[in-house]
Amino acid sequence: MNLVQHSRLARTTVAIVGVVFFLCIGTLSVAAQKRFTRTYPAGSSVRLKLLNRTGTVTVEGWDRAEVRLEATLESPAANIAPQSLSGEIVVNLVRDNEGRGDVGEVNFAIRVPFYTLVDIETKIGNVSVSNISSGLVRAHISSEGDIQLLNIGASNVAAENVMGNIFFDGELQDGGIYRFSSVKGDIALRIPFNSSFRVVATAPSTRDIAFYQCASPDLSLLGDGRRMVGKCGAGSASLSVTNQRGAIKFFRR
Amino acid sequence: MDCVDCKSLITAFMDSDLDSERSEFVRMHLANCDDCARVCEEIAMLLDVISTEGEGVLPENHSKQIWCRINNVIESEQKPLLDGSQPEPHRRGLWHFSFWQLAAALACIALVSSLITVAALRNYYEPSATDSLASATSHTFMDRLMIRVGLAESPEEQIERKLRDRQAAIDYWNTRVQARRTQWDSQTRAAFDRNLREIDDSLNEYHTILQRDPEDDLTVEMMDSVLNEKVDLLRDFSDL
Repeated sequence: MNLVQHSRLARTTVAIVGVVFFLCIGTLSVAAQKRFTRTYPAGSSVRLKLLNRTGTVTVEGWDRAEVRLEATLESPAANIAPQSLSGEIVVNLVRDNEGRGDVGEVNFAIRVPFYTLVDIETKIGNVSVSNISSGLVRAHISSEGDIQLLNIGASNVAAENVMGNIFFDGELQDGGIYRFSSVKGDIALRIPFNSSFRVVATAPSTRDIAFYQCASPDLSLLGDGRRMVGKCGAGSASLSVTNQRGAIKFFRR
Repeated sequence: MDCVDCKSLITAFMDSDLDSERSEFVRMHLANCDDCARVCEEIAMLLDVISTEGEGVLPENHSKQIWCRINNVIESEQKPLLDGSQPEPHRRGLWHFSFWQLAAALACIALVSSLITVAALRNYYEPSATDSLASATSHTFMDRLMIRVGLAESPEEQIERKLRDRQAAIDYWNTRVQARRTQWDSQTRAAFDRNLREIDDSLNEYHTILQRDPEDDLTVEMMDSVLNEKVDLLRDFSDL
């Protein structure tokens, strides 16, 4: 065996060992995960209330009259015991795992009828809600995580976190109430051209409040540029945006 | 017999306690004197009322007591007449004031009582720890006046007091968090500390601004909001 052949053999061996190693790691990782799936029939009125500890939560509206709940549980696996009572589906991982200090992440992928009232709380992790047209969309992250609310047509929307970005893309309903609050992170709101709302937007540290195409003559800056107050159109919806140490940006859809 | 004599004897006359001679004198005087006759009639009416209305209610010797009182009243009315002097005009006493003095006094009382009422109401309906701090710096003229006279707190004092109140809630939840955090995994601990630090940095920033300008409403409001965030963070992590 010459030197070139020897070198080729060595490289092939290293490559095979590497592939085997990563396959083993992947298999172990999959073995450490548990999956939880449950489907609930939904009536004309349905509400989803989810309290998670850590992990990503994705809620997506669809046009089926059923709620499909999928969860991936990292080790050590959390206890999960959803409850469905008179049109309300409650998943409370905080209560279900009370007294357990070390609980792995739980990542949710939930499909709900588009008219579902959605109320999500989590301690740590991202939250994404899309395609919902109902009375309520609430996303509350106790500490850090991004919030994405896409294609939302709810009359009451609240998104709160401490660290992380908030992005809202949806319609503002007449008489609706919309509240976005963060301590550090950017808040971006993408709303239709003809939106009508009253707004109080406050960014005291950065003073970075940009309305871009949403600018209106009825908007005025207060407090040395730390707050923007005013209205667009008739001002039927009420919009409150507070970002302690980040920027606030409005875009037209 | 004159009116004075007649009136002093009139009660005895009506009780038939007079001898026949004096009784005759009184009767004659009453026949000629309208005043005494009227007094006699009034006494007779009184006696009539007492005898019908107070029947069974009044004690036996009550009629004597009533007579004594009536006598006293009559005598007190007669005294000035006996002295021959005119009724005394009202003396200008110590408590007699002019209209303007009274008006000024009433205005003073109204002002003082309003101030006391406002102060009492403010103390009674003191906002709780969860109320906005922003109200601490909004002042009307009345507020400033009350601060001047020491009936209300200054903005700095209000903010300090409210911060102390809020600090009590923070301390409570923090104690619970500290008891729990040893059970958390390292990622949760790190995330919690990171977020708490961010909130504390914001609070420090607002503290600095408020030291320069205690009446900056917006900063007070933002500080209030961040304090709420802190309480929420501690409370949310206290049940992990």
